[in-house]
Amino acid sequence: MRKTLVTVMAALAASLAFGQTVHLMWSGAITGPTSDAGKYYAQGVEDYCKYANEEGLTGGLKIVCEVRDDQYNNANTQRNFEEAIERGDPVFLGYSTGGTLQLKPLIEEVGMSYIPASYHIGNIDPPNNNYVFLPIVSYSEQVIAVLEYIAKEKPGAKVALAVHPSPFGRAPVEDAKKAAKELGIEIVEVQEMSKGLDYTATLKRFANEGVEYIVYQNVAGPVATMVKDAKRLGLNIKHAGAHYAGGPDLLRLAGDAAEGFIWVTSYFMPGENTKGATFVRELGTRYKRPSDTLESVHYPSGMLAAAIAIEAIRRAHEAGKPVTGDAGREAVHQALLGLTFDPGLAVGPVTYSKSDHVGVDMLRALRAEGGKFVPITEPFQSKLFRKVHYGK
Amino acid sequence: MRNPWMQTGNYRTSYRQDTTIFATYSEQLSLIVLLLSLLFLPMFLSRPQMFVVDLILVYALAVVGLNITTGYAGLISIGHAAFVGVGAYTAALLAPALPFWLTVPLGGLAAAIAGGIVGIPSLRIKHLYLAIATLAFQLIFEWGVGHSTLLQQGGAIAMPRVVFAGYKVGYKNHYYFWYYVTLVVLIVLAFAFRNLLRTKYGRALVAVRDNDRAADAMGMHPGLTKIFAFALGAFYAGVAGGLYAYLSRAVVIEDYMLNVSIELLAMSIVGGLGSMVGSFLGPAFLVLLDLNMEDFANWLKALGMSLPGVDIASAMRPLTFGLVIVLFLVFEPRGLANWWRLVRNYFKNWPFKY
Amino acid sequence: MSYFVQLLVSGLVVGSIYALAALGFVLIYKASRVINFAQGEFIAVGAFVVYALSVYLGMNIWLALVISLLLTAVLGFFVERVFLRPLVGQPIISVIMVTIGLASLLEGAIHLTPFGGGNFSFPSFLPQKGIEFAGISVSYPQVLAVFFTLIFLAVFAWFFQRSTLGIAMRAVADDQMAAMSLGVSVEKVFALAWAAAGITAAAAGFIVGTVSGINLGGLVSIGLRVFPVVILGGLDSIPGAVIGGIAIGILENLATGYLDPLVPGGGTGGVFPFVVLLLVLWFKPYGLFGTEEIERV
Repeated sequence: MRKTLVTVMAALAASLAFGQTVHLMWSGAITGPTSDAGKYYAQGVEDYCKYANEEGLTGGLKIVCEVRDDQYNNANTQRNFEEAIERGDPVFLGYSTGGTLQLKPLIEEVGMSYIPASYHIGNIDPPNNNYVFLPIVSYSEQVIAVLEYIAKEKPGAKVALAVHPSPFGRAPVEDAKKAAKELGIEIVEVQEMSKGLDYTATLKRFANEGVEYIVYQNVAGPVATMVKDAKRLGLNIKHAGAHYAGGPDLLRLAGDAAEGFIWVTSYFMPGENTKGATFVRELGTRYKRPSDTLESVHYPSGMLAAAIAIEAIRRAHEAGKPVTGDAGREAVHQALLGLTFDPGLAVGPVTYSKSDHVGVDMLRALRAEGGKFVPITEPFQSKLFRKVHYGK
Repeated sequence: MRNPWMQTGNYRTSYRQDTTIFATYSEQLSLIVLLLSLLFLPMFLSRPQMFVVDLILVYALAVVGLNITTGYAGLISIGHAAFVGVGAYTAALLAPALPFWLTVPLGGLAAAIAGGIVGIPSLRIKHLYLAIATLAFQLIFEWGVGHSTLLQQGGAIAMPRVVFAGYKVGYKNHYYFWYYVTLVVLIVLAFAFRNLLRTKYGRALVAVRDNDRAADAMGMHPGLTKIFAFALGAFYAGVAGGLYAYLSRAVVIEDYMLNVSIELLAMSIVGGLGSMVGSFLGPAFLVLLDLNMEDFANWLKALGMSLPGVDIASAMRPLTFGLVIVLFLVFEPRGLANWWRLVRNYFKNWPFKY
Repeated sequence: MSYFVQLLVSGLVVGSIYALAALGFVLIYKASRVINFAQGEFIAVGAFVVYALSVYLGMNIWLALVISLLLTAVLGFFVERVFLRPLVGQPIISVIMVTIGLASLLEGAIHLTPFGGGNFSFPSFLPQKGIEFAGISVSYPQVLAVFFTLIFLAVFAWFFQRSTLGIAMRAVADDQMAAMSLGVSVEKVFALAWAAAGITAAAAGFIVGTVSGINLGGLVSIGLRVFPVVILGGLDSIPGAVIGGIAIGILENLATGYLDPLVPGGGTGGVFPFVVLLLVLWFKPYGLFGTEEIERV
């Protein structure tokens, strides 16, 4: 349907030159809502794919990555997913919370492994959870990790949760409440907030209730406004947040009002002198990405998702199994279930197993200091999350 | 003489003739041919294409509803997706207990009740001011779903596979099955509305749109008529919502938010407000336009057109999409339905010019 | 008590941002009965132009603002001339649809620039500490919003009461046919309305960009939030837009302050104003200051 002559010819030529061609599709929001993250995520997927082909990380396969803009519209995601099935793709890279949750029954039925950019715990919770794989720890685990850090810094602290008014924002609320009970800290309020121009009312109320920390499960925009308002009001409240709440985007929006913001994520920071951060920088320079791409945390996120998919395809291929069509989906799924490797893009290795669909289990807490996020802990794993969420 | 196959003018001489749906046999025949070809359409399409066609049909059903409210009764609705959502959520809640041929109409019924309630302000408020009632409903609906644990706070409620007359709908035949279901529902409901337009209730809608005071003077109740228009339009939306829920296998709040309402409004206007044909042409045109713009964007990408930091291909898609709509309306402000009318008239008078 | 006063004051200043965004909407409606669904995109264009000029070209931010105001005025003028002029006399709903298409077109155009969907902020030019008085705090951008709103209100008041063109605009708003037969150039009036709407949109974009940073989605969303404001104030009333904006701002803040703690999850600020709005409309069907249409059969 959309195979223009050009791509058909290219695919033909490629398959003659490199052997077998495997298609890999990412469907996410390059325009429309959340495109501030999706734009860079897409670039990460594209660049890692090019890199893997050029450096021979594909086991002799020619992997053709296709980045589709679904404009944050679930119907578009569903259509792209159907096209990927039709074409015989072995694994699919997804994006939004809504899209992933909606597609879960279909994903299970066709047995196509699915790697979303949404770290909603519902993606890998039953039912229909055999084929969804999170690249890094879930929102719930991120927020609990933040709470653990707070409990250590200030035992018995009073905390407010400021979440996005969507399934994405509400995802960790229940687990966070249980974890707070275990940790002996008090969650005073859970507030939904987005796109406000002024949070004076909310902040004053929090202050009256003696809130000491606000924990965000939100996107950078509203967090920045709230952080700035809190600074203007001179409130003695500390701010902390999960993966999508912080990062360079927050710094760019909030400026020095973001100083002291505590953030957890599994990715490296652009300025860091680690192997992973250097690799991301080199790759971005190699493919001539501008500086805002190199700074974005969503760029390595996209790379990690692509790396996981490509590695699973490679292993299935090297085990002598088919990597396209129905059999290819099953082979790559099996490869993913036993996949343990360290692409060096995050603070820990990717470890999947039949019972563990979370790739990178490690997190770091970082703090905004002098206009950048500086790690304040070694990579760690949330102690409480498994107990709270799975009861073990 | 009136030729039942071809006629170049209006030869109706009695009121009874004037209320017939079809003027000529050839009109009837062409509709039958169209329906037959729709019956065999799935034989030629792949699964993803089938999904697109299903989507167009579901949108068409919702747009027929919007056209009843906005096109025929003149009440601008910017909360139509919320009615679709009411239908979808009702169907999702009832689906574990009831078969789909009950949950979908019940979804429509629930949406109709919501529509009636939203219509209450129309007893006092008019024109654009009334649109705020629909916007308010849209936002209250989103907020309400987000705060309801029963509805998973906007997360996914999975829809079960259905069994119909011993026929189990699975992965392979999913889109084909729902294609036929949606097609039948759409045809039945479109004819139902077409017939309603010929009754006093249907004509009251148009009378109230054209001048509600005059309608009042003629003995119609403008307020009740408007509430009826809202409820009826919402019923169609609710049925569409139920079908969409089954089609997409799950109900998620993002599919029923404000941007979808505006998209539906766009479909009905591009098709042509107050026109039944337009309700089908509008969704088909916009959905296919978007697909083609995506192809165009991919083509640009394949050509290697890029600037550092700018994703030209992705940007071209909304840009050309908007541009086509704008230019289209600049040259054809009455929508696709007007083209349809012109083409039909041409063939009606053929071989004469007029 | 000071909590209550703070809520009122915050509502007032936020409301004046809404008012600023609503002014352009009202101007266009007043002149041509068109609802402009692309208002949010105009706001975004205004903010991005200021950002581009001040960051990429290193221009002084106030100079960048002035240029942005002029550029969006030209954009409004151009849009009217190219896309809306051919539609004079056509069904209003088609014109409204053109603005929906325009919204998509402008969004695509913004994605064509290097900013696209990213997050940015202006170089800081205002002190971060707010203004404190008796425990009530207001930020500088908010003060700026009030100031801008007052200026525009004064300019428009003078314009519509005193200048010939303004009176011509009122005549067109009142009765297009009659105005035309008296020699008023309706085209000129429409073009002027769109240009003026562009200016107010850019001013609103500048303020919103200063308050909450520059993000396409965030800026565009202001365009739709204007809708309850203009309905409450009356679609064709300029003072109505200001009072409507302030009223909605205060209602949002009161809901956030007093209702949110009672509702698990909160977020009532986005919904509560609509409930009040519907009640108000029940008694004042044309908004607080809208012209009541006298209908004849």
